[in-house]
Amino acid sequence: MKRSIISIAALALALLVFGEMLNPTGYAIRVLCLVVLAACLGQSWNIVGGLANQISLGHAAFFGIGAYTSTILQVRWGLSPWLGMPMGMLLAALMALLLSIPTMRLKGPYFALATLAFGEACRIVATSWPSMTGGPQGISIPFLGNSWAMLQFRGAGSYLPVLVGLLSVTSIVFALMSSGRMGYYLRAIRENEDAAEMAGVNTLKVKLIGSMVSAALTAAAGVLFAQFTFFFDPDSVFSVAGISIRAALIAIVGGVGTLTGPVIGALVVVLIEEVLSAYLSNRAAGVAPFTFGVVLILIVLLRPRGLASILPALRGVGAKQ
Amino acid sequence: MIALLQSLIDGVLIGGVYGVIAVGLSLVFGVLRIVNFAQAEFLMVGMYAAWFAWKYLGLDPVLGAFVALAVGFVLGAVCHWLLVQRVLAAPPVAQIFLTVGLLAVLENGALMLFGSDFRSATTSYQAEALELGPIFVSVPYLVAFAMGAVVSILLWLMLAHTWVGKAIRATAQNAMAATLFGIDTRVIYTIAFGLGTGLTAFGGGVILSYSSVSPTAGAQFVTLMFTVVVLGGLGSVMGALLGGVVVGIVQAFSALALPIQMQNLVLFVFFIAVLSFRPQGLLGKGAR
Repeated sequence: MKRSIISIAALALALLVFGEMLNPTGYAIRVLCLVVLAACLGQSWNIVGGLANQISLGHAAFFGIGAYTSTILQVRWGLSPWLGMPMGMLLAALMALLLSIPTMRLKGPYFALATLAFGEACRIVATSWPSMTGGPQGISIPFLGNSWAMLQFRGAGSYLPVLVGLLSVTSIVFALMSSGRMGYYLRAIRENEDAAEMAGVNTLKVKLIGSMVSAALTAAAGVLFAQFTFFFDPDSVFSVAGISIRAALIAIVGGVGTLTGPVIGALVVVLIEEVLSAYLSNRAAGVAPFTFGVVLILIVLLRPRGLASILPALRGVGAKQ
Repeated sequence: MIALLQSLIDGVLIGGVYGVIAVGLSLVFGVLRIVNFAQAEFLMVGMYAAWFAWKYLGLDPVLGAFVALAVGFVLGAVCHWLLVQRVLAAPPVAQIFLTVGLLAVLENGALMLFGSDFRSATTSYQAEALELGPIFVSVPYLVAFAMGAVVSILLWLMLAHTWVGKAIRATAQNAMAATLFGIDTRVIYTIAFGLGTGLTAFGGGVILSYSSVSPTAGAQFVTLMFTVVVLGGLGSVMGALLGGVVVGIVQAFSALALPIQMQNLVLFVFFIAVLSFRPQGLLGKGAR
């Protein structure tokens, strides 16, 4: 646990120092922010997806709920996203609770299917409720000038500390949940849910807490996404491929259920995305998601435990020498 | 009352096609015990196959559906041989992500090859309807339903009476025992997977006669397909056909009362409800 905290702090510091060296309004820092945001998303997914192996394909629901809650409060009542964020997190946690009622007993592919349907249901609600959400045209946050109170800045650089803060919080929550009693419970559920239940683990309660925490943190990432981009629509925040599968992909590329996994995964995924869109943007739509499909298949077939599993292997080689 | 009857007929006709689309998914699960998240993409593949057959060979989409069946079978069998069979014994996580990866590859592969334009085929009977008193029976729906019924009967005959069909059922029941009786289960798994994707592609060809195709055509059917299959019991062929009709009717009735986007919401809520109330019923009893 202590080691995890130290490595999280070191990572946060390294990110901030690295960010300081970049031009605060440039392209590189924008990419760095996207990497950190993606890592937040992957790490939140990892809490239940990685530790308990409850494969959610509907995390876009919570991401979008976060983004819409803070943005609507801001646009309608001028409420600061600092207040909108906890509200969005609370709402997402409540939705996770609500979703748990029908899905709690579902396993493996059935759980994945139910969460997928839930994410799509949220997208439809957002699309067909224009008076509240702006409908399919999307919703935008008015720019009032650089302001910490309203959490909006012209350059990407100013967002970096906030994003790194969220990543640190998410990572600490993940480390806490994976190391303590809760971690053993979640892993027991991953290995064998029936056996865990027999051994006296209240599996429903554990899964419920896990999914509510995961949903709340995903919503926080959604709020920051909204502040960062200033504009979004139902198809972008409730996207199955763009958010739900991507969240899982980030965790899986890096290594499911590990602390470092989502960070490595986010770096790999966002860099591939940026390189592809820089070189191919208008010529061939679909190249980036196509590549991710290929990457996902290759990882499942060749490195089922993710890229993070290469690190211990390398370390092992080093130790022998 | 007439409106209700009209919806019932539309629902049954459309639902019959849903049944054929979903039978493929159910068959794959029944035999291989794997949930293929990429299944709906084969619907899109089938629609494109039928569209090209219509455009360049002048085939009616309903006949082009047989081209789609062949394309879907070959593509599915290749995917299974190269990819899916490697994760048959792996944990569900690997199976979910392999098929999700395949979904992304197929959908975006189509986007790269064909662009995002919507394409549709025109037929001579496209706008025609039979008048039965106050009720209108849409000819494209009727033709689509008939094709669905023909293929379902062919599938049943094949599973019940041919050697391959019997081998598929034997493998679904007990793969080990089937191996002991000299059945090469690797080949049977490949055939079953290809047959499943082929049937879904066939359904895609059939619906091309009244809807248009784009790379996201499959994605729109994901929930619908899983709703049908889960309702009928994953793995059950008859269940999928009946489930299709039920979902078709639910959709047609919700169209009476709700705006179009809310209709889709009904489907999702229905799906989650079915999943939660019948989690045991989800485990199908094999391909029968």
